[in-house]
Amino acid sequence: MMHKDQRLRQEAIRRASELTTRRHFLKECRTGMGLMGLGSLLGGCDWLGSKAAPGVAGNAFDPVNPMAPRMPHFAPKARAVIYLHMAGAPSQLELFDYKPELQRLDGQQCPESFLQGKKFAFIRGVPKLLGTQAEFRQHGQSGLWVSDLLPHFQTVADEVTIVKTVTTDQFNHGPAQLLMHCGSPRLGRPSMGAWVTYGLGSENSNLPGFIVLTSGGKNPDAGKSVWGSGFLPSVYQGVHCRSEGEPVLFLQDPEGMDRDLRKASIDAINEVNRITYDELGDPETLSRISQYEMAFKMQIAVPEVMNIRDEPAHVHELYGSDPDGASLANNILLARKLVEKGVRFVQIFDWGWDTHGTSPDGAIDIGLVNKCRKVDRAMTALLLDLKQRGLLDETLVVWGGEFGRTPMQENREGKQNLFKGRDHHSDAFSIWMAGGGIRKGFSYGETDEIGYNPVSGKVSVYDVQATLLHQLGFDHERLTYDFQGRPFRLTDVHGSVIRDIIA
Amino acid sequence: MNLWRPRRYWLIASLLVFCILGYAFIFSEPRVDYSTQVKPLLNRKCLGCHGGVKQKGGYSLLFRDEALGKGRSGRTAIVPGDPDGSELIRRLTLTDPEERMPYHEAPLSADEVELLRRWIDQGAAWGENWSHTPVKEATPPAVGGWLWGLMPSAHARWIRNDIDRFIAEKQRAAGLEPSPEADRTTLVRRLSLDITGLPPSNALSRHFLADTRPDAYERLVDTLLASPAYGERWTALWLDLARYADTKGYERDDTRNIWRYRDWLIKAFNRDMPYDSFLVEQIAGDLIPGATDDQLIATAFHRNTMTNDEGGTDNEEFRTAAVIDRVNTTWEVLMGTTFACVQCHSHPYDPFRHQDYYRFLAYFNNARDEDTYAEYPLLHEFKGKDSLSFKGLHTWLSLQADPREADRVLTFLRTRQPAINSLTADRFVNSELSDTKWLVMRRASSSRLRQVDLGGRTRLLLRYESKRDDGMLTIRTDSLRGRVIARLRVPKTEGGFHHHETPLTPVEGVHDLYLEYHNPSLVDPDENGIRFDWFHFTRDFPGRGRPGFDLAEAAYRRLLDSREVVLTPVMVENPSDMHRPSHVFEKGSWLSPGERVTPGVPASLHPLPAGAPPDRYGLARWVASPDNPLTARTFVNRMWEQLFGRGLAETLEDLGTQGIPPTHPELLDHLAWQFMHRDGWRLKALLRRIVLSATYRQDSRADANAVLRDPANQWLARAPRVRLSAEQLRDQALALAGLLSPRMYGRSVMPFQPDGIWLSPYNGRSWVKSPGEDQYRRAIYTFWKRTGPYPSAITFDGTAREVCLSRRIRTNTPLQALTTLNDPAFLEAARHLMYRCASASPGRPDKAIEAAYRLATGHPLTDNRRQALLKLHREALASYRHTPDKACGMIGVHDGHDNPETAALVVVGNAILNLDEVLNKN
Repeated sequence: MMHKDQRLRQEAIRRASELTTRRHFLKECRTGMGLMGLGSLLGGCDWLGSKAAPGVAGNAFDPVNPMAPRMPHFAPKARAVIYLHMAGAPSQLELFDYKPELQRLDGQQCPESFLQGKKFAFIRGVPKLLGTQAEFRQHGQSGLWVSDLLPHFQTVADEVTIVKTVTTDQFNHGPAQLLMHCGSPRLGRPSMGAWVTYGLGSENSNLPGFIVLTSGGKNPDAGKSVWGSGFLPSVYQGVHCRSEGEPVLFLQDPEGMDRDLRKASIDAINEVNRITYDELGDPETLSRISQYEMAFKMQIAVPEVMNIRDEPAHVHELYGSDPDGASLANNILLARKLVEKGVRFVQIFDWGWDTHGTSPDGAIDIGLVNKCRKVDRAMTALLLDLKQRGLLDETLVVWGGEFGRTPMQENREGKQNLFKGRDHHSDAFSIWMAGGGIRKGFSYGETDEIGYNPVSGKVSVYDVQATLLHQLGFDHERLTYDFQGRPFRLTDVHGSVIRDIIA
Repeated sequence: MNLWRPRRYWLIASLLVFCILGYAFIFSEPRVDYSTQVKPLLNRKCLGCHGGVKQKGGYSLLFRDEALGKGRSGRTAIVPGDPDGSELIRRLTLTDPEERMPYHEAPLSADEVELLRRWIDQGAAWGENWSHTPVKEATPPAVGGWLWGLMPSAHARWIRNDIDRFIAEKQRAAGLEPSPEADRTTLVRRLSLDITGLPPSNALSRHFLADTRPDAYERLVDTLLASPAYGERWTALWLDLARYADTKGYERDDTRNIWRYRDWLIKAFNRDMPYDSFLVEQIAGDLIPGATDDQLIATAFHRNTMTNDEGGTDNEEFRTAAVIDRVNTTWEVLMGTTFACVQCHSHPYDPFRHQDYYRFLAYFNNARDEDTYAEYPLLHEFKGKDSLSFKGLHTWLSLQADPREADRVLTFLRTRQPAINSLTADRFVNSELSDTKWLVMRRASSSRLRQVDLGGRTRLLLRYESKRDDGMLTIRTDSLRGRVIARLRVPKTEGGFHHHETPLTPVEGVHDLYLEYHNPSLVDPDENGIRFDWFHFTRDFPGRGRPGFDLAEAAYRRLLDSREVVLTPVMVENPSDMHRPSHVFEKGSWLSPGERVTPGVPASLHPLPAGAPPDRYGLARWVASPDNPLTARTFVNRMWEQLFGRGLAETLEDLGTQGIPPTHPELLDHLAWQFMHRDGWRLKALLRRIVLSATYRQDSRADANAVLRDPANQWLARAPRVRLSAEQLRDQALALAGLLSPRMYGRSVMPFQPDGIWLSPYNGRSWVKSPGEDQYRRAIYTFWKRTGPYPSAITFDGTAREVCLSRRIRTNTPLQALTTLNDPAFLEAARHLMYRCASASPGRPDKAIEAAYRLATGHPLTDNRRQALLKLHREALASYRHTPDKACGMIGVHDGHDNPETAALVVVGNAILNLDEVLNKN
């Protein structure tokens, strides 16, 4: 097996030579298309070198071929990202952050010192502490603590890094999800996947570079903005592939139009467009011809890759996926297929992790247990499957929510909730990362005895974003886009790479 | 001959003087221009560390007084007239890398240093960016004279109006020649799409093509400008700028009722409301004396900000977010300036100080809205019978009541303001904010309303909901043991919130009010007994003892509960006793209020107009003043972009020093000046001026040479080809199919949309397909949901409209192709287009295809195109004849068209609607 670094380097060289070839071709080319593309292509190369000069001209955006593959700042460790977001925020205290002391303090009033100057979404007055509602054990060579709610995941503890001390400054779902994915709690900024697609282009011209899969019956709280393109050109937004109906909107030809006829019709459109180009000489017309060709290819490629029916039974067994339904497990299996086909960024959202204790579904000891059952097997399978295919090293897998949950039982409007539940907690929560050059079997950061505040290794969501970009070969401070007179970046003015978790 | 005779002396002396002067003229150093030469250099090399954000070494080059000062080193950075004595020059030319500037970056070139030396030597004059200088009447370059003799005669003959003179001058400098006028078919389609957003009707095209009068073109332009479709087309643009949506945004993204604002825009455009009034009414229509309902609706412009209904959110945080959005939108959309960065620190590059942001914000900080669920304040427009009874009450009050009291009552009926929202309550005992939106109280509970002015108030009107009888509410001043000013029963209500009025014991002055609620029928201490919406402390209904008092008061009470009413969120200003102070937010965080500020505009721009009040109305007049250097330029530039696909200054959103400078600054100024001073700020006159130019009328054919010389077409030696907007594409398809409904105005509609687009959490709303012709309304009437916008609008470069969108960046993607190929809305259009064309020539598919192509492009079908389309038709026909069942799929329904012949035509129609010529404006 070829060494991974070697492969990545070869890929980088191949891309560089493609760029040169294209530039050379454009120089020679006498048509307008060439010249049009040339300016933007060269413009696009500027930011690869030193700092981008201010001004929109510095943006690496080629309107004629916005998805052309581009090189990052340095040799990447990861080629693709699968980001599993459990929307609603899973409880770190029942999954990864083991707190025996909290167990002992179960039912006691929360010390005032924890409440001073704090704002909660729903907790009012003095709440009671709620002990951990799961059994924990150490696993693997690394001895990572993982709760029994994730029995499958326990077996791959040695593959992952668990970060227990992520902090955010938002305690409502919408803004916190935006901050996690777009680097700002306000709307209007591009999402992580959009930044990555803008920075890298797409490897597979028959598939979108950034694909979003959702499950749990709802879109994430922050809506489609969490995979939006913000102020970046809209071509970089995530393509939401649906689990029911057509995977991509309007992908299916009308009933009564078979492939041959669609082919004939695109041929006719492009033939007339070529005539138009000959008459008017507008390079955009040439681009449109190629977009129609690409659309035709996508019509084949997308349903093919989105179809999990042909996966062997043992794979379905591994993931717990069911080709006849729609589920998180199906989406996780799909994510592996997409990455295999060259998709850069697969964003998975699973809705329903908001365990306040106001209903059985939202109870720590009922709803959370069920949600864990649905994700545990599939996310474990993903790591095993990627590893077996030799893809784990170059695929960064991230799992987490938008914040954590309080060590206190929620008392909404000052009343004890009906079920065991925890409020939103922004000061410490756990995520795990695996593959793509991340350390294996490693636990990073420690929280205090009840899991309330970090005591060491505190990191912010910006640090997570910076690290993710770093693994893809980007300096998060240099992946910028000029907008409103200044360069913007995913991490705004924050963020540093969490070096300790890089292998 | 004696040379030294006095006369000769004089001659020699004058020759000498002439030579010296000439020498001085030729060899003296040319004057360095700050704005075009120095400022760009400083922005590029210095301001990153010595500007509005960072002042390393305690030194900044943003403002002249700072630049001429001393940094931490104690040395004067710039000594005007003395480059050698200026620390700036010394630091640029050192060799020690720790000392030499720019720090640890490449040094300035010798030429750059020399430029700065000369600039300091000449006095280090400061200057303003082009967009901050007053708009002056730019004289168009003259035609004729010996210089113009050198110009290719093509230019002289080509020019139609002043615009062309500016364009011609630059073309000549670039060695380009203009293109000839496009043919009439192209022109009529171009004009119609640009002015009305729709393709020309058959009748209009035929009329224009047959019109041989010399002013046929002008007549066509005037006809289009007078069409009601005109207002709809320009409203489509303004909706992006106003971030208009039919939902509130954020997590729950529930429905919002604000379509009256959209209709206001259409009417304002159609009656060609002057742009200055258009802005004043949108920014501060509520503060115009005697504001009409329409003027209040106009202020919904800034109520298009989002409202967060997510449980547990801090209402003040999202109120502040909305205010900040109003500031940013006002600057970006109306004045082409990126002000958002001043929220956290002084502008890095443009002359705006951090404090300027919050002084400007102070103008917006006293609007009544507080992120309430109901989105108060809401304009209540009474309809039907209630509108008559409102008019009657209005008349009675104006005859029988003190005018100020009359105004108070009418204002309250129209806006339900001023009212204290219950979400501002605090000091909760057994009470709480339910879902952080409404005050709820339990068995024996209390809560507080802060700082209520009771001066002259004799009555309390409150709005509450209770599911339990026996509730008793007591209100005390200053403490839980304070004086009782009201004690009232608050019985069970039916069907939601209910109005209830009670007399107050008169008390003067401002007091904290303590609310106590008791209800013996509540057994469970955790059960909510009552939920409050708002409190209105007011006076008695005026005109007691006058004839008709009882009837009038009864009418007032009925109107309070009116259901025949259209509600629209609008701006209403806080009365003086509810005034909010404004502060600078340290580093832009609302949680760190700093120094207190009063309303004001940046000192670097023009002053407020004389007599402008220190409120939003004064601000609005400042924005819409002819002295404002940014407003007219921004608007004219945007209109140019709408017609030519790119602004004269490309960055519509940033005319500052970091934006792309205009290609034709003089033309931009010329148009801006004419717009304000000749056209009376009227858009129709401006558009007319532009579309009558030869520049606009050019052919869009681009020969290889022209593309080579000007690939981006910045010198406009050919007409640009621009892809139609999402709205235009949909409207065009419906119009060509003959499906487009001419119905204007009203609630937003829901045309066909695939399932599964709307999936917002905690929101039971769903997309319900509108009946009848509402399926086929123009795109501006389509319901716009922020978290799930209409798919084809987004695919064609629209945004969710969470914040304003200054400019759509056009892309060209396979997903767009899939949309126009397969979106059932476009397919339906293809079907009806072909039914329409086939019925005109039965049995002649070739004729039908010709007709459809001509309808879609205006042009006759050329032979080579005919071959391609007929070939497709043959293949389709063969396929459907072979398997006739598929024909029905293509037609969509079992009806008279369900046959292979028509299905094959629909396949061709679908292709025609996807042609580059049809998707573009040529």
